[in-house]
Amino acid sequence: MKPSKAPTRTTARWREVPKYAFLSIVALLSIGPLYFMVVSATNTTQDVLGSSMLPGTNLIANWQSLTEFQDVGSAMYHSIINAVATTVLALVVCSIAGYGFEVYHSPNKDRLMWVLMLAMMIPFAATMIPLFQLFADAGLVNSTWAVVLPAIATPLLILLFRQSARSFPHEIIEAARIDGLKEVAIFWRMFVPTMKPTYAAAAVITFMTAWNNFLWPKVILVNPDYQTMPMLISNFTGGYVIDYGALMLAVLITSLPTIIIFFVLQRSFVAGFTGVVK
Amino acid sequence: MTKFRKGLTFAAAATLAFSLTACSSDDGSEGTEGTDGGSGEAAAAGDNSLTVWAWDPAFNIFAMEEAEKVYQEEHPDFTLDIQEVTWEDLQPRLTTLAQSQEFGELPDIFLMQNNAFQKNALNYPDLFTPITDSGVAFDEFPAGVTAYSTIDGENYGVPFDAGTAISALRTDILEEAGLTVDDFTDITWDEYIALGEQVLEATGKPMLSGIAGEPDTILMMLQSAGQSLFDAEGNPTITDNEALASAIDLYSQMVEKGIYLEVNSWDEYIGSLVNGNVAGTINGIWISGSLQTAEDQAGNWGVTNLPIVDGVDGATHYSANGGSSWAVSSNANVELATDFLASTFAGSTELYDTILPSAGAVANWLPAGDSDVYSEPQEFYGGQPIYADVISFGAEVPANNTGAYYYEARDAVGVAITQIMGGTAPADALGEAQSTVEFAMN
Amino acid sequence: MMTPVVRPDRATTTPAKRAKGTPRYSSPAARRRSLTGWAFLIPAAALIGIMMFWPMFQALILSFQTGRGSNLDWADPLTFNYDRMLDDDIFRLTLTTTLLYLVIQVPIMLVTALVLANILNNPRLKWKGFWRTAIFVPAAISLVSYSLVFRTIFATDGLVNDALIWVGFIDNPINWLGETNTARLVIILGLLWRWTGFNVIFYLAALQNIDPTTLEAAKMDGAGPIRTFFSVTIPQMKPMILLTVIMSTNGTIQMFDESYNLTRGGPANTTMTMSHYLFDVSFQNNPNFGYGAALSYVILIIVAVLAAIQMKVGDKRD
Repeated sequence: MKPSKAPTRTTARWREVPKYAFLSIVALLSIGPLYFMVVSATNTTQDVLGSSMLPGTNLIANWQSLTEFQDVGSAMYHSIINAVATTVLALVVCSIAGYGFEVYHSPNKDRLMWVLMLAMMIPFAATMIPLFQLFADAGLVNSTWAVVLPAIATPLLILLFRQSARSFPHEIIEAARIDGLKEVAIFWRMFVPTMKPTYAAAAVITFMTAWNNFLWPKVILVNPDYQTMPMLISNFTGGYVIDYGALMLAVLITSLPTIIIFFVLQRSFVAGFTGVVK
Repeated sequence: MTKFRKGLTFAAAATLAFSLTACSSDDGSEGTEGTDGGSGEAAAAGDNSLTVWAWDPAFNIFAMEEAEKVYQEEHPDFTLDIQEVTWEDLQPRLTTLAQSQEFGELPDIFLMQNNAFQKNALNYPDLFTPITDSGVAFDEFPAGVTAYSTIDGENYGVPFDAGTAISALRTDILEEAGLTVDDFTDITWDEYIALGEQVLEATGKPMLSGIAGEPDTILMMLQSAGQSLFDAEGNPTITDNEALASAIDLYSQMVEKGIYLEVNSWDEYIGSLVNGNVAGTINGIWISGSLQTAEDQAGNWGVTNLPIVDGVDGATHYSANGGSSWAVSSNANVELATDFLASTFAGSTELYDTILPSAGAVANWLPAGDSDVYSEPQEFYGGQPIYADVISFGAEVPANNTGAYYYEARDAVGVAITQIMGGTAPADALGEAQSTVEFAMN
Repeated sequence: MMTPVVRPDRATTTPAKRAKGTPRYSSPAARRRSLTGWAFLIPAAALIGIMMFWPMFQALILSFQTGRGSNLDWADPLTFNYDRMLDDDIFRLTLTTTLLYLVIQVPIMLVTALVLANILNNPRLKWKGFWRTAIFVPAAISLVSYSLVFRTIFATDGLVNDALIWVGFIDNPINWLGETNTARLVIILGLLWRWTGFNVIFYLAALQNIDPTTLEAAKMDGAGPIRTFFSVTIPQMKPMILLTVIMSTNGTIQMFDESYNLTRGGPANTTMTMSHYLFDVSFQNNPNFGYGAALSYVILIIVAVLAAIQMKVGDKRD
């Protein structure tokens, strides 16, 4: 067997050359801009604008000019609080809803789901003013709530949980009911633990969206003491003189948390979507 | 289709239901934060404290901090809370606050781009407090500058930085072409173009650079000729505007001859200056801050006045670009805010003496120009006392009629220029720009 | 209020079928369960209602008003803002541009993502972790950040021109962001860079869910890898493909950040998207909220119609 298979294996290997070539090109294009971002964080304005691709020695100076005028610590803190609060609440609210839509399925709930999907299609710029008015009337301008509340319930996340609830064996629920478990308990004790991958996936999506959220925080957080990292970046582009090295460093620092979250949860992330297909 | 319609009905019903809940909660206990409560955070901060919005830590925020120190000499309890808000964020934020009638969130003082002043004051007069009789001596500023923030004879702003235009030149590059700054002083644009060709030939470097599609250069030419994009009644005058037509013609000539390098973004524009790709630039004096980041070019710059647009009545060598003014909000401790501004930005040579060398903030306040600091030679500019020159330029700048639709007109002219550079006949492109602005005003 | 109605046609026939066929309120317990179900939905539905539908309803009212700034008044005729749109050259331009992005970028992105997911799913692939990392990482970068980076590398004296000149593809730098076609290309490249990996994740998940026996069966029938991909893999991924098509369509039609940060809409507004124009109309220029609201309803309708068509087409064979 073995000798006869050997030649096919070699041809198979040759056949794979285009595949690896394609992957290499894609990887190069993917990483290229990121490499530039990292390198630029160590360069001076002049080098950044001159597109230097070599690491420079200006990292510390960039850090100093970044922190001289900008409160990076505070912006980081607010970004983290906002993103974590949004993520936790979104996971709870949307997973309960997704579970509710699927497990207690009824035509009316289906119709409601369609209506909620419609919300995905509303352009944000249009709802900004009325939404601001709503929060202003509630006295919630300049608060974490104002940033978090509009981002908690999203149709996409509900859909994700609804689909994964579909793959959750119904027999388990029935059995639990016979055992006398309350509906809420079934959700917490049966559904949540088995759906960890879905939660991981949802967490990554929500965290990234919340972290990168820009337009709304910049309007509702009137007091700059509440400023977040993306807002801090935009501060850089406002002056007459722009320090591009420090700007790139800020861009890099802003990207780090999402990259870290992404890789910590990556494995579960991929698994989390499996439910959606069924 | 029926499903869809049912869905819509349901959506409407749901919206109504939610709107009711929302309304009832509004009328509840949270009514204190109301519009006319007047007890907003800014005013509540105390009798000796003011909140300020500004956007550049190295420039106008720095100037505010210095003003705080100056005012503290007489008023030791006084404090400022300066909050950084970029202009691009400040404009939508003002709009949002005004639109939702939440004036309580306004600071006492905010900085406003001169070009946007009319628009904001006309659309949202409720954002501002008129300060004509507040004790600020507005006649100590050039009329052309206070005009930005004056509506129907009422003053709404104290001018801060001058957008006075300069023609900055690389003396070392000119030297290679056998020229000096003097050759560029008191000339016409035609002469400037001829000299530019000489420089290009000798050094391979264009005279100027600018962002493609941004009409800054053209608008500076226009203002230097005492003209604008609007007539006295506020109607757009993009077509049948002789000065604009000449300015566009000069601009096209320069681009075609290669003496004006068109770039795509602010970053590239600054890059062309600090990397030494061009022999000069024409812009507001604030550009000096960016020029000076290129330390290797110290001593190689000189400053002079602008070329004149030939053949237009009232044309001068002076113009402006940018600049900003302090506005007192409708939520302000007006007495304190105006007294503060009157004793600092409109009354303290000491303040201007500090912020000029460290931030390059050139005063609009005329008495500041008499100070010795302004006549000190600047090493970066080869020992030329450029700030004294700039002050003298500033007094000559013709007023610019911006009107409320300045930004729309500016964008439309920018589009027209892009089209003209792409081969469209100027008359067609400008006609389209005119109708775009008319459409926006309709 | 609600009386438990037992529907005989459903209640009795298929009791064994799970959720879908569950009889309505066949017992008090069932009714209680249904109410529990509604209770589970209420927080999310209420939030979406208050945070999205309520402002949208207000925007609807606004779309029938005219005036700048706070000087708003009922439009005469009420559809004034919608009529106005017909004469708006910039709106027409942004609509064309946005649709252009949609028809070019979404298919390329999704096909590339499908191919990449298929390659990454091969268990014999070497250095899998590296490839995955490289392909996924752009999805973690914020829109503001990557727009800034792209603007810098596509500058006239930027990295891309330097590289192309060095390789010898071009002699003179290309003015990428200065010409309509190349500027639009840069936006499309940016979108591809940022979002392809994001879609690969969804496809990888779908691929891992495919029943391996169906692939084996296809092999036994003598189908090559390409045939298998099209006739076995793709059909099973259809729900996921539909989801990504709807998501990408929605995202592209509402695209704001790239247009705002990367090209500023230029040159001459030719890269501007509808949402960017909407923002300009409402916030950047003399605030015309009535018109802005009307624009947003047109965007909403376009997205909804496209989503409906996609669902119709996508669901056909099921």
